[in-house]
Amino acid sequence: MAGAAEQQIHRDPALFYWILLPITVVMVLTGILRHYLSTLLQTAPKRLPLPKIREQRSLLRSANLRMNYAQISPAAFQKRREWWIESARDGKFLADPDARGKGKPNPMSDPAMMEGMMGMMKGNVAMMVPQSLIMGWINAFFSGYVIMKLPFPLTPQFKQMLQAGVGTRDLDVRWVSSLSWYFLTLFGLQPVYNFILGSNNAANQVTQQMAQSQVNPMGGAEDPEKIFNAEAENLEVVEHYYILDGVEDRLLERLQGTV
Amino acid sequence: MLDERELATRPIVQESVQHNARTVSNIRALTASLFGVAAGTLGLESFPGFIFYAVGTAVVSVLIFAFKAESNPKAYFWRPLQDLWAGDMFGGLMSFVLTWTLLYNLAKA
Repeated sequence: MAGAAEQQIHRDPALFYWILLPITVVMVLTGILRHYLSTLLQTAPKRLPLPKIREQRSLLRSANLRMNYAQISPAAFQKRREWWIESARDGKFLADPDARGKGKPNPMSDPAMMEGMMGMMKGNVAMMVPQSLIMGWINAFFSGYVIMKLPFPLTPQFKQMLQAGVGTRDLDVRWVSSLSWYFLTLFGLQPVYNFILGSNNAANQVTQQMAQSQVNPMGGAEDPEKIFNAEAENLEVVEHYYILDGVEDRLLERLQGTV
Repeated sequence: MLDERELATRPIVQESVQHNARTVSNIRALTASLFGVAAGTLGLESFPGFIFYAVGTAVVSVLIFAFKAESNPKAYFWRPLQDLWAGDMFGGLMSFVLTWTLLYNLAKA
């Protein structure tokens, strides 16, 4: 089949109007629908009780101190660090001081945890349902014939997937059925969504899956006391320097070129 | 350690980095689709098509370098080689293939 004559198949031009165009339009619209669905399904952040907020914000405070320590003088940094570590060791920041030393809470027993998992399930459903629906739709209506020719050759391994239901052994892999157009639109429509919905859209499940695989679903289930101890240790090993150290030298160095 | 101090005295603002990256990515996505349209209309096949894409993105890189970065990529990109010249080269490839295939089939049918 890679011989002298290139395989030619004459296709009805109506294939484009009745298959290619509908699939493309449906894919774009599903992307938009998915975007709005995920914004609608997003649960508003729940109001936390005061001690819980204090716990989170204290952690944040230490992290900020750790990141921006260069902006304050050594004395100020020393003071803040000592105060924070001491308070953390005493458990002053903990939301529930009585629960110290009881270990990791069971994620199933905490209603807040359950809510977080529900939110993730909703996101997954919003991704999976349209995807499988469209796959089923294309397989039900548009399978069994080739509709287009790819402009680049592929290895025969793709034959199984891209020529599903065609069943001609010697047909060039470049002739593909409608399912491959679905895959092409699935991966290639991201810029279209970007232009329609703005760049922070949730239309494409591929990028979303990538983002989701990086978050640990059980991230909040740690024992808060352990987190505080780890944070205190991190804070303790910071080697402080002051951003204004040697600032006059840097200034002179910069001015030297201009004068 | 020295590098960290350098960053503290000349900080890199996250928002600006994101904005620049998004600008580059938008330009790349748009031009990649247009290159796909061109390649499909010209009826390029397999390797010439991909070479066309590579040459096109290189030209776009030069244009970004000359006009968007005002020939001074150090001021806009932390790592110019990675962010400007090679940034998002493969992000545009999928949309290039999409429009290439579509126009190729429309033109040949």
